[in-house]
Amino acid sequence: MIDFRPSSAQQLLVSTAREYLRRHCPIEPDRRAGLDVIQLWRGMAELGWPGLLISSGVGGSDGTLVDVILLVEELGYAAVPGPFVPSAVAATSLLLAGGARQQRRLTELATGDRIATVALVEERGSFDPAGLTLTAASGRLTGRKLFVGAADLADDLVVVLRDGVVVLPSDRRGIARVPLQAIGGDPLFEVRFDDVEIGADDRLAVTAGAVAAALEAGALARTAEMVGAARRILEMSVEHAKTRVQGGRPIGGHQAIQHACADLVRDVDTARGLLYAAACDASDVAAAKAYASEACLTVARRAHQIFGAISYCAEHPLHMIHKRILAASLDFGDTTLHLERVARAIGLEA
Amino acid sequence: MDFTFTADEQAFAAEVRRFLRDRPPSTFAIDGMDAGYGSGANSKAFIRALAERGWIRMCWPRAFGGDERPMFFKLVLLEELARAGAPFGPLPGIWQTADAIIEYGSERLRTEVLPAIARGEASFWQGYSEPDAGSDLLALKTEARRDGDDYVIRGHKIWSSHAGIATHGLIFTRTSREARRSRGFSMFVVPNGTRGMDIRPITSLTGEVYHYEVFLDEVRVPEGLRFGPEGEGFVALLNGLDSDRFWGRFYKAPALERVLHRLVEYANTTRVDGVPLARDAGLRRRLAAMATELAALRWLFYRAACQFRDGAPITYETAVAKVMADETGQKLARLGMDLLGMWAPLRAGSPEAKLDGEISHAYLTSLGHTIAGGTAEVLRTTVATRGLGLPAGAR
Ligand SMILES: Cc1cc2nc3c(=O)[nH]c(=O)nc-3n(C[C@H](O)[C@H](O)[C@H](O)COP(=O)(O)OP(=O)(O)OC[C@H]3O[C@@H](n4cnc5c(N)ncnc54)[C@H](O)[C@@H]3O)c2cc1C
Repeated sequence: MIDFRPSSAQQLLVSTAREYLRRHCPIEPDRRAGLDVIQLWRGMAELGWPGLLISSGVGGSDGTLVDVILLVEELGYAAVPGPFVPSAVAATSLLLAGGARQQRRLTELATGDRIATVALVEERGSFDPAGLTLTAASGRLTGRKLFVGAADLADDLVVVLRDGVVVLPSDRRGIARVPLQAIGGDPLFEVRFDDVEIGADDRLAVTAGAVAAALEAGALARTAEMVGAARRILEMSVEHAKTRVQGGRPIGGHQAIQHACADLVRDVDTARGLLYAAACDASDVAAAKAYASEACLTVARRAHQIFGAISYCAEHPLHMIHKRILAASLDFGDTTLHLERVARAIGLEA
Repeated sequence: MDFTFTADEQAFAAEVRRFLRDRPPSTFAIDGMDAGYGSGANSKAFIRALAERGWIRMCWPRAFGGDERPMFFKLVLLEELARAGAPFGPLPGIWQTADAIIEYGSERLRTEVLPAIARGEASFWQGYSEPDAGSDLLALKTEARRDGDDYVIRGHKIWSSHAGIATHGLIFTRTSREARRSRGFSMFVVPNGTRGMDIRPITSLTGEVYHYEVFLDEVRVPEGLRFGPEGEGFVALLNGLDSDRFWGRFYKAPALERVLHRLVEYANTTRVDGVPLARDAGLRRRLAAMATELAALRWLFYRAACQFRDGAPITYETAVAKVMADETGQKLARLGMDLLGMWAPLRAGSPEAKLDGEISHAYLTSLGHTIAGGTAEVLRTTVATRGLGLPAGAR
């Protein structure tokens, strides 16, 4: 039976997250300045969040992908920085497909004591594994991966190659992590491999299907993050429209502002519905992410207009949330990649 | 959270598809223009065929001759009909009128009109708008004056869709001189052909007749044809408008998906300099982006549907969904026109017309959708004030 409502256990997860993050992850940039990402991560780990996809037998908290999506929506709402999506969603999904040998690593990932990330993108700038060139067939790896999230925090790099996947400790000889400077969002890195030795134990026995599924989980999580962020922006904008007075009345009394707010509602509600449908396998993840990227960025830009000049300054949270949406819209597949998938799904000949 | 249809719903969908295979929609006679909403043309024969299957009354209470099927069966039926491009034009309006009769109709409406609806023999035009009462509906001048057991209606309605081919008008009137914002209005169900009712066609921008203008000159109506208590027609109307936005647009997403599939087919099979149009990167992207919007639109309506089903309060949800449905439809029509290029303006029946002239027709008719049933502007204001609690501004 079609039903958009989370279960009561899921509602509890969401309300716990809302409350915890309200206290430990302030949205105002000045209060956030002293935020310690690792300390926040430890707190999240105590709540069992990094282990949601991992079964309790291995030390996880037995959640589902829908649980993860609802949680990440809250992470987006609170603009939480850190390694959750690369580690607890994408890398964990891949390692879960890697069989019994990964159990110890998964146990440590579940407790948050270990952090992993996925390195995939190469010079083409695409998350499509089909176009990858790097290989470790010779037992050595040389080359570079781009736009790797959480590479500074990660103990493990799950590296997707042309002909397989390897899991490498990030401090292995020959690996260098070079920070890129983006306008916002979590730090991104170039990861360089200079004649890195790859042993048989480093190889992760997973199929191309498992890689695709993990990337899809990452894309879905980033979609949830955007939706949560856009919800936050909608709430902030409505609050501002009610309280900012010009010409003796709240700006929200002007139809121009009212209609802008109505469009925020449309964009948030549609992106959210499609996200949930995709999380439950009733719509394509590609469609959900492509749609949400456009919708949520539009929400952010329109909100700047509703806020006026105050949103142009560094002290205001809107630009920070906006930049996180921008980063999420690119991670695990940008709009070009996902719309091409949709194009094929609706039957357009390639 | 669950996004699967129940086994009963799936079985019903299969039953509807079988019906559509056995009785292809294209074989039914057409009585009135397709207004482009996605419910196809107006076909009395098709409505009667639905009635024969018992599908018009399927969700009514047993006491009223129904089968008490869950409301989602109506959604299943609408989706299947829209995907097939069937001519079910007046069905949503028929359902809404029936629901209103069941909820607060008089004995006479329940015993005379309801059975005719179940047989597929009744359909309704909406007599709300007047020359000087559009968005400001309550500025209407049409008056119903009490005279013994009857009312006598005088006034002038306009933009009444398909009034000339329907069987009854839902005529919104003032029953009190002092009628103000919400009290003093009454709704009547008036059979076409009642003495004093003069229904005149208006040619629309497609060249066909869709709207009618209705002159009401001392139209005598018995009290039993009044909807609900005197003076409380506005409440009935508001409920009607809320559900109108939903039922009048729910099937738009699947209908637009059908059109999108036709465009995809066209792009795959049309070659320019030997290369299929489908290979054009810009076009691929626009068609794919449209597919994502249609998926988002569909779930937006389903969410509102769940709220109706679960009895959750609706403040803005149907208004948002209606505006999005109408604007997305306009965008798809524009995309289709762009895809067809020089062939785009050709109408149905013209030599060289592509896709049966469906796109140029959709382009024109879609212009009315953001006006009809509450303009996009008025509805955005509704979302902001009723939904978000922003202050009601100067009107
Ligand atoms: C295809 C179609 C089918 C229709 N079918 C029916 C029918 O079956 N029965 C029936 O009774 N009527 C029907 N109508 C009429 C429809 O209900 C009216 O057209 C509608 O209510 C708008 O009124 P109007 O056309 O007089 O425009 P107006 O109210 O004059 O509006 C003109 C413009 O001004 C804007 N405007 C007006 N007031 C405001 C405001 N407060 N805030 C912001 N902007 C405002 C409008 O948004 C619009 O852009 C139909 C119309 C169309 C196009």
